[in-house]
Amino acid sequence: MLHYVARRLLLMIPTLFVISLLVYMIINMPPGDCVTSQIDELLARGDADALARAGELRAIYGLDHSVWYRYFHWLGGIFRWDFGLSCQDTVPVKDLIGERLALTIIMESCTILFIWTVSFVIGVYAATHQYKFGDYAASFIGFLGLAIPNFLLALVLLYVGKVYFGVSIGGLMDPEFIEQPLSWAKFVSVAQHLVIPTIVIGTSGTAGMIRRLRANLLDELQKQYVVTGRAKGLSPMKLLVKYPLRHAINPFVADIGHLLPEVVSGSVIVSVVLSLPTMGPMLLTALKTQDVNLAATFLLFVAVLTVIGMLISDLLLAALDPRIRFGAAGEK
Amino acid sequence: MSSAVLRYSRQTLWADYIRAGAGALLCGLPLLFLEVNRWIGILLSAACLLFLLFLVRTILRQMTRYVLGPDTFAADGPAGSLVEWGRLDRLILSYYSTKRDRTGGWMQLVVRSAGARPVKVDSSLDGFYDIVERAAHAAEARKLELTRATRINLRSMGIAVAGQEEVE
Repeated sequence: MLHYVARRLLLMIPTLFVISLLVYMIINMPPGDCVTSQIDELLARGDADALARAGELRAIYGLDHSVWYRYFHWLGGIFRWDFGLSCQDTVPVKDLIGERLALTIIMESCTILFIWTVSFVIGVYAATHQYKFGDYAASFIGFLGLAIPNFLLALVLLYVGKVYFGVSIGGLMDPEFIEQPLSWAKFVSVAQHLVIPTIVIGTSGTAGMIRRLRANLLDELQKQYVVTGRAKGLSPMKLLVKYPLRHAINPFVADIGHLLPEVVSGSVIVSVVLSLPTMGPMLLTALKTQDVNLAATFLLFVAVLTVIGMLISDLLLAALDPRIRFGAAGEK
Repeated sequence: MSSAVLRYSRQTLWADYIRAGAGALLCGLPLLFLEVNRWIGILLSAACLLFLLFLVRTILRQMTRYVLGPDTFAADGPAGSLVEWGRLDRLILSYYSTKRDRTGGWMQLVVRSAGARPVKVDSSLDGFYDIVERAAHAAEARKLELTRATRINLRSMGIAVAGQEEVE
């Protein structure tokens, strides 16, 4: 296993380096820079000195250096948790992303837990009660979840909450806790506000997972060893948990790697609709204003989450099911 | 049946040395030459330590010779051990691959006889097939219960263990 972990970790390092390089260069590719849009704004307001200030602003943001210099400067800063200056109000990126990063991680973690818990329970129930009412109900919910875009569900819930219940379900905490240090009351407020975004973002992921788990478990339950076990009088619970569930759960584990980036990217529009103070809306603004340091930092976080998710899923799979797949080249 | 002395090939060992060295350098150099945030430093130190452990494991492998005899399998070297086929109580054959399609991987065999330390060998060891075949016969004679992954991996190598055939 040490051999496997070492090789897997060694692959991660160049992968992250290449992703960071690609992300930084692609964001830099469109003509102009973040100062261009700021100058345009100042000129529109009638500021006559705007053009003269362009050079000064470019020097502040380091835009007078080559893109390679800026990239390696940004990359070196990452080790010090310093991601450079953002063009938004000329503040360090780390100050901008501080609380938003924590809230994003909390929200995405809750969403993933929601997806796993709900899809595991419903998927197992649907497979063990095939063609019964519960199975049809689970399939119906699954198809609904797959068919309804997250942002539309968010809009509907906003409307229903406001019109029928008189409550605003936007945001991740009550307004009086914004910019306040963490306290028990703030924690409770965040926990209460997390419920709706978690359900909205998690619905589509849950739907897909339910269908995959149901299909895998049904395949296993129809195999000969299950029939033999049943004929020999094994209890239904033991017959389900001992082998079929363990085998059916492998694709579930393999999905961890895909789930993290899906949830993060899927939450961007929902965060805009529900006014959530997460990193998604900030990424959109950063990309529109060509705020390279901020956008690249955010995208690097997504890449790191993806790579870590893949690593966790691969390690779990290697530990749970270290067998060869037929068709794969077995021996060296 | 006479005894066979087996070793890891020089090519395999060098590849592992390069991996261990590259990993330790990539994680260690920023710690030595850059100002590093505390939490990132902890992560890099942990990764560096892992690569150093991998380096130590590779050195141990180079210093060990494996002797496959009719009744025993011995790892002769630092942290070595002896497996008596007649007292075999563990046989695990695992397959690992770093590719998404799980091709181009390697097998790992873990064997242990009662009361002794286990011996682990990879498929890059010369004569790996003979060791697995001998271990499978010993498991069959001892009526050891093998895991499903082990049975499938044995079958992929063309080795059948009576009474434990795997139905896909």
